[in-house]
Amino acid sequence: MKLMDLAKVVRSKNAGPLHVTLDLMFADSQTYELVRQSPALAQSSIAELYCVDPSTVNVVPYPAALAIKIAIDRPVIAGTPGDCDVFGAQQHKPLLEIEI
Amino acid sequence: MTAVAQLLAGGPRPGDPIRVLSGSGQLGYGIPEKAFRAGLERKPHVIGCDMGSIDSGPYYLGAGAFATSPLIAKRDLRLVLNGSLSIGVPLIIGTAGTSGAAPHLEKTLALVREIAREDNLSFRMAVIPADIPRDLLRGLVRAGRTRALGRIDELTAATVDGAAHIVGQMGTEAIIRALQMEPDVIITGRACDTAIFAAVPAMLGYDLGAAMHMAKIIECTSLCCVPGGRDAMLGTLDGDSFELESMNPIRAATPLSVAAHSLYEQSDPLTVYEPEGMLHVGTARFDAIDERRTRVSGAVWHPASQFTVKVEGAQWLGERAILCAASCDPRVIANTGAIEAAVRESVDDIIPPTGSDSYELYFHIYGKQGVDLFNRPVTGAAAEEIFFLVECIAPTAELAKSVTSVTKQYLLHHGFSGRLSTGGNVAFPFTPPELGGGPAYRFSIYHVMECDSLESLFPVSIEQVG
Repeated sequence: MKLMDLAKVVRSKNAGPLHVTLDLMFADSQTYELVRQSPALAQSSIAELYCVDPSTVNVVPYPAALAIKIAIDRPVIAGTPGDCDVFGAQQHKPLLEIEI
Repeated sequence: MTAVAQLLAGGPRPGDPIRVLSGSGQLGYGIPEKAFRAGLERKPHVIGCDMGSIDSGPYYLGAGAFATSPLIAKRDLRLVLNGSLSIGVPLIIGTAGTSGAAPHLEKTLALVREIAREDNLSFRMAVIPADIPRDLLRGLVRAGRTRALGRIDELTAATVDGAAHIVGQMGTEAIIRALQMEPDVIITGRACDTAIFAAVPAMLGYDLGAAMHMAKIIECTSLCCVPGGRDAMLGTLDGDSFELESMNPIRAATPLSVAAHSLYEQSDPLTVYEPEGMLHVGTARFDAIDERRTRVSGAVWHPASQFTVKVEGAQWLGERAILCAASCDPRVIANTGAIEAAVRESVDDIIPPTGSDSYELYFHIYGKQGVDLFNRPVTGAAAEEIFFLVECIAPTAELAKSVTSVTKQYLLHHGFSGRLSTGGNVAFPFTPPELGGGPAYRFSIYHVMECDSLESLFPVSIEQVG
């Protein structure tokens, strides 16, 4: 199944000007566990999906909120000329189509 | 007797419930009045409002400007000043004027004094600037006591000198010092969002883990609810746990919605760093009280052995001009790479970007992953239409405009291989399609510095208003 059909929320936003973060939230613990354990959510898979070095990616599961947080170093500091998403709010799209 | 004097004389003490009303997560965008007034009815012991954010980009810190409309900022300030004075409780406003540097603080104070005059208000005000002296920061750079908070160059003396404004995020320590001077109102330069809401409970000796965690959640008002919103939020701290309730009855703070809020704009949902220590929320419990209230407990505060302050600075880069153009021609759409390269070459020939005339030119091509920060390869079917947003940053507005004008003409008429539409490659939505964008800045400082004395960094002054 595609992630966009499993998650309740798939969003992106800066966490400070140097990081963009991606939040995945789920309606129940079964779906959360299914996605959390999927190899598609491994650090290396996310790095490949976003064409970045794995050392710039951090995946943190947060069971209290049935959520998974992914933080990626921004290739351009927020708002520096050449940036195209100052708030980092539109960087979630590559996640929508991944197969779990 | 001032509001803080009353709180110190007869206010709640650890063991008693203390109510903190969060009036705004970003004062100046329009505080919903009904929920704020409902919050006043609940007799809070302190009202906090956050007025700032770094999210809107480096322009506001660099230019000394508000991101919000000064008109709406004045409307919101009027609401919270009158509200807090009417019930006699302290009002704390953090990160004045979006970025909290000297010009933002001055403009905010001018609005506050204007409101006091117009509404015949009289109060004692504490002001805490957050500008970081350059010589102090240069000294810390030399001593190796600063470090980058991510992918940004390490600080040098030149970076420090090049920044238009430099601010540090004050913590509870500075606000507590101001509270001890017994004002009615506190207005701060750049401050940690949490410090605004945690300072009064911290001063009175409440559990710091619970006080900081509550502050971290209510600093965005009702964003931690379902549905999320901007209505005032009430946090009631009692012992080592606290209770959350939105002041708009349609918004529910549920265990899941509150826990999920820990993710928002945080790179790590489990830890929050403050100048005086670190909050660990991984052990937190979220329990429903009823359908729209949640009780939270279990966060742990670890005091730091070394104070650290997050420092932000923005540097002027040049003046911006932009060009707007669009195309629906499939041959243009298929050949944007070649067209961009050729146009750049022609512009370079006519206006060589060298010496004092150096400039940067950026092509944002919407319809071809124009919003993709990571420059992933373009996939999928070709777009029906594309939009060219061409951006130039040059030392003068005149040069930036000249570059976009030349770009416009070459983009319109470039004869690429296979071209059919020799009338022009692009459509302009209006004339002139090149527009001045004002000064451009970048964040040159987003670092943490070690700090031995917070007191000298964030001095408090007192003013009698009205």
